[in-house]
Amino acid sequence: MAPIISISKLDKYFGRLHVLKNVSLEVPEKQVVCLIGRSGSGKSTLLRCINFLEEPSYGVVEVDGIAVQSGEKSKAHHQLIHAVRLKTGMVFQEFNLFPHMSVLENVIEGPITVKGMNKDQAIALAERNLEHVGLLFKKDEYPLRLSGGQKQRVAIARALTMEPRVMLFDEPTSALDPELIGEVLTVMKKVADEGMTMLVVTHEMGFAHDVADRVIVMAEGELIEDGKPDAIFNHPKDPRTKALVERRPLST
Amino acid sequence: MSISVEEQSAPKSQAELLYEAQLRKERRFRVNVAITWGILLLILVLLFSGPIKIDGEFVRKNMLYIAGGLWQTVLISVLSIMLAIALALLAALGRLSNIPPVYALSTFYVSLIRGTPLYLQIFFFFLALPQLGIQLSGLASGVFALGLNYGAYMSEIFRAGLASVSKGQREAAMALGMTPGQTMKRVILPQALRFAIPPVGNEFIAMTKDSALVSATGFVHELMWRATKVGRAQFHNLEALIMAAIFYWIMTLILTFIQNKIEARLAKGDR
Repeated sequence: MAPIISISKLDKYFGRLHVLKNVSLEVPEKQVVCLIGRSGSGKSTLLRCINFLEEPSYGVVEVDGIAVQSGEKSKAHHQLIHAVRLKTGMVFQEFNLFPHMSVLENVIEGPITVKGMNKDQAIALAERNLEHVGLLFKKDEYPLRLSGGQKQRVAIARALTMEPRVMLFDEPTSALDPELIGEVLTVMKKVADEGMTMLVVTHEMGFAHDVADRVIVMAEGELIEDGKPDAIFNHPKDPRTKALVERRPLST
Repeated sequence: MSISVEEQSAPKSQAELLYEAQLRKERRFRVNVAITWGILLLILVLLFSGPIKIDGEFVRKNMLYIAGGLWQTVLISVLSIMLAIALALLAALGRLSNIPPVYALSTFYVSLIRGTPLYLQIFFFFLALPQLGIQLSGLASGVFALGLNYGAYMSEIFRAGLASVSKGQREAAMALGMTPGQTMKRVILPQALRFAIPPVGNEFIAMTKDSALVSATGFVHELMWRATKVGRAQFHNLEALIMAAIFYWIMTLILTFIQNKIEARLAKGDR
């Protein structure tokens, strides 16, 4: 079966800084992949290149059969990017809920504005997903009144309500107080168990160890190690991986 | 340890006593300010009823006539602020554009308007344009000039409002698949406008007073025009201007009161 995400020969420069160096990666459907690595290793940039929040400098990104060659500026190119964004849901470190909308409004905004779904249908779908993350009872609250963990769970529901093929998580628990991390990871595990293809940039080694099908280690803009969690955590080959997994104790 | 136990069993805790003292201090401050305001007002009134002769007869006769200018003043201000808001928003969006002519147009407009006096701009519309075959009424000249002028200054308010919305908001909207237009309309602008409401209110209050400049065209019978008319005709400028000043002041007080209410309500929503 063709991989659902296929990245080939991706390069990204920020000014003169070379942050992604000829990265290629294929992810089959329903796989849960954790990207780990030290800060500045390029893992967030790689994730953000998949839905073109960062435009890659060179290379091709393909999501569910839609291939986008970077470096173009045509209208067709923007339409392809739009099509890729419809197939990918994203969850951010800082949640980025819309503060002027209630929880429910946050979740129905995408389906209504972007997909043109009718409101009743969008609400039904949104309520199902809010129920799923355990926050239906907060649907009329505004984000300001939610805890960090609750905000992130709403953000996950918001992304899921667009019915994406792939979910991208960019350090989803890094901005949370330690006691709130668990509830978010629990929801993420639930999403993974339902067969969602997931790419997760994280520092949560416990989650990577227990939930991921595959762990990829990044350093200095390259993928330095790629394998099953057990291999990465218990038999790391690269000394940089060794330093990384030893430095951070497993949380479970 | 024993001390703290004793303190806790006392009827009022240390914190509570300190808090009450703080409240008393704040109340005393407010009361003293109010008293001083009262004294200053009294002095003003006494000044005009004793040493400075006011012609009560003139005041009675012309009060209603001058007050009749109020609605023109309000009309000019409301029309001008609407024009100003539209222009300010366009100018602020233009400042964010990466299309060179759009960016240039926006910065050019702001620079030109801020570099010339409002008084000149009003006369330009009223006196200079007819030379080009464009004849505007006094009211229209005033509204265009005030709107253009305030629009240029207020563009900074909207620019700050747009800048106050974090980059993550735009990214979240884009990740959902929104177009740049949808992102602006659904996500960025509602937040930016909310940020801009209090300062726009301030500008409106300032504008009601700058609208007095429109009287210079001689064809808009607002407060200032009426005051100078009757004042000059009967050589009672003192009384006429004092009346106009009182009307402006009362109007400003009312608007400020409304402004404070709106601000308090907005602040509440933020908590």
